[in-house]
Amino acid sequence: MTSSLQNFVVAALKEDQRIDGRRPFDSRRLNMKFLREDGSAEVQLGQTLVMCCVSCQLVQPFPDRPNEGSLSVFTEFSPMADSSFEPGRQGENAVELGRVIDRGLRESRAVDTESLCVLAGKAVWSLRIDISILDNGGNLIDAASIAALAALLSFRRPECSAGGEEGQEVIIHPPEIREPLPLILHHLPVAVTFAFFGDGDLVVVDPSYKEELVMKGRLTVTMNVHGDICSVQKGGGVGVSSGEIMRCLRIAATKVADVTSSLKKAAEAHETERAFRKVKRINVAATTEGRRVDISETVKAEFKLRSAILDKSIKSELNDDEDSSSEDSSDDDDDSESKEDNVMAPIRAVKEEDPQSVLPTDAVFQGGVSQWPTGTKPYTISGTMKTNPTGNSVIKVSSSCQEEKPTAILDTAKKNKKRKKKNKKKVNRPISSM
Amino acid sequence: MEVETAQEDLKPAPGQLASSPFINKIVAPGDIVLDLAQLSIPTLRLGGGLRQDQDLVIATKAGRLKYIKPNKIWVEGSQKRYIPSLEDVVIGFVVDRRSESFTVDIGGPVHGSLSIFLFEGATRRNIPNLQAGSVLYMRVVKAHRDMTPELSCVDATGKASGFGHLKNGYVFQCSTGLARALLSRPTCPVLEALGKSLSFEIAVGLNGRVWVNAASVSTIILVSNAIMNAEFLSAAQQQLMVQKLLQRVQES
Repeated sequence: MTSSLQNFVVAALKEDQRIDGRRPFDSRRLNMKFLREDGSAEVQLGQTLVMCCVSCQLVQPFPDRPNEGSLSVFTEFSPMADSSFEPGRQGENAVELGRVIDRGLRESRAVDTESLCVLAGKAVWSLRIDISILDNGGNLIDAASIAALAALLSFRRPECSAGGEEGQEVIIHPPEIREPLPLILHHLPVAVTFAFFGDGDLVVVDPSYKEELVMKGRLTVTMNVHGDICSVQKGGGVGVSSGEIMRCLRIAATKVADVTSSLKKAAEAHETERAFRKVKRINVAATTEGRRVDISETVKAEFKLRSAILDKSIKSELNDDEDSSSEDSSDDDDDSESKEDNVMAPIRAVKEEDPQSVLPTDAVFQGGVSQWPTGTKPYTISGTMKTNPTGNSVIKVSSSCQEEKPTAILDTAKKNKKRKKKNKKKVNRPISSM
Repeated sequence: MEVETAQEDLKPAPGQLASSPFINKIVAPGDIVLDLAQLSIPTLRLGGGLRQDQDLVIATKAGRLKYIKPNKIWVEGSQKRYIPSLEDVVIGFVVDRRSESFTVDIGGPVHGSLSIFLFEGATRRNIPNLQAGSVLYMRVVKAHRDMTPELSCVDATGKASGFGHLKNGYVFQCSTGLARALLSRPTCPVLEALGKSLSFEIAVGLNGRVWVNAASVSTIILVSNAIMNAEFLSAAQQQLMVQKLLQRVQES
């Protein structure tokens, strides 16, 4: 099959034609889809379909880099994608693909690994990039590289903070309580693959499956939009002149610009969609009054409004009963300023030494910002990080409820206040478990 | 099409094959297509995609149940994978050359075997010179699920009649359903539209391989892409698509 195909492909290329009707330097249609789960994306490049999932885990850092997170790439070539892929065993191209993607991301320091550090020397986030080939239509490297970047762009890691008695415990905040954080990506290294035919004088970009069958050599350039070359991988036996490589680099630069802009556009669209999903959940639709309103503004306005009403009502109640203590005397200006923190940080309310935050936090919950299912109490998941004799790090995660925690530091007056507040909560929205 | 022939001595009863409610309808694997006890025809010829279980005829693959007078019945589907069946015309690549036969890849579960004598005018002295990778247009002369399919490059009368080595050109893969549509009569709309303005040679194998040759490379590329695009288009859409492709080529 290959001999007749090769003759035809080369004959066509000599006339600047390719078997699928493209010109030598045309890429196939690129289509990106972000899946519902954060950090997973599907990329279609012509017939090729690649899915990528990014996940993270708290691990102990490498001893030589105590305050840097890590990044690892795993590939899965399903036999469903191509009959030549063997199940279970990693083939040669599976290894190569993983290495090229890994090198492009790691050596160029695209992902800010230092921001993945939680506790220096104790706990850092380890990112795992899983690339699955769903359909092999040629040029898997480019498709996988774009999929990996798309997944990294949409990935959110849970926010966590150091806590506990000595500040050596890691508290992982659930996404409902603190908004998960995006990764810091300094730039986007995109792979562009060229295939060489004949004596290395015929070049095409983005080879298709059939072209890959008969190509003599391959060059993958990983580059970012600024024109920095992050990695170069050359495969196949045919020799390529330096002039040819320079030409490829110039072409790659324009291709990378195209891909980067569509990646950014897709990521932005996805971000808007995510925000809208949240808006629906908290039901702000009524306040937008049919206008198109910036979501963050709407949400902020809603917070301000609700908590202002709330604070007033609480204040009036408290004033009726007893003199207002320092923590709830916060005026409206304070409130609007610290609103976001309040919403995002109910966890902190649990900490005994910080009773100040108890009130506003609860107030915000009452405002219905996150609309938890009734009966849900604010809770923490606190991870206690210990190192056992084998050197493996163990994170004990325990969930505790605010009410059940013995609150010795809180005095009775505060408890009363709290109870009062809860009573009010009941009025707004009955909570069954109370 | 017929892979097995079921001979049934049915007692005379009302009911003709054509009156079966499944004819020309989509069937799925496991569907009971016919109850032989209720048929009055003496002989029934079952084609691909059907299985006989005592008095019942059961579909084994998804597709449309086809019927030809007087007694041929089979299931016609569209699939990527080809299962050889008798009298199919196929396109294959020579994989290996043995003393008495060629091993040919016809895209089926196993390679087919083509006797060196089944070429027009071939003798022991005059063996066709075919290298590995040569493209052949053949017909299936023996097909059984437990045996390697046997192929032939001559028709029943010993003449080549179009079969044999396909030189140059370009082979691409499509579904078996599209291949069947390309071979059907009246001529498939996409081929008719292409044939009006271009001259090219085409050979279609029922295994989903299509060979195209023309004087210029651009014609071959245009024809092959038009055919691959035509798979899920209606007749009018196919004509429109071909017109657009032709326009684009003329512009550039």
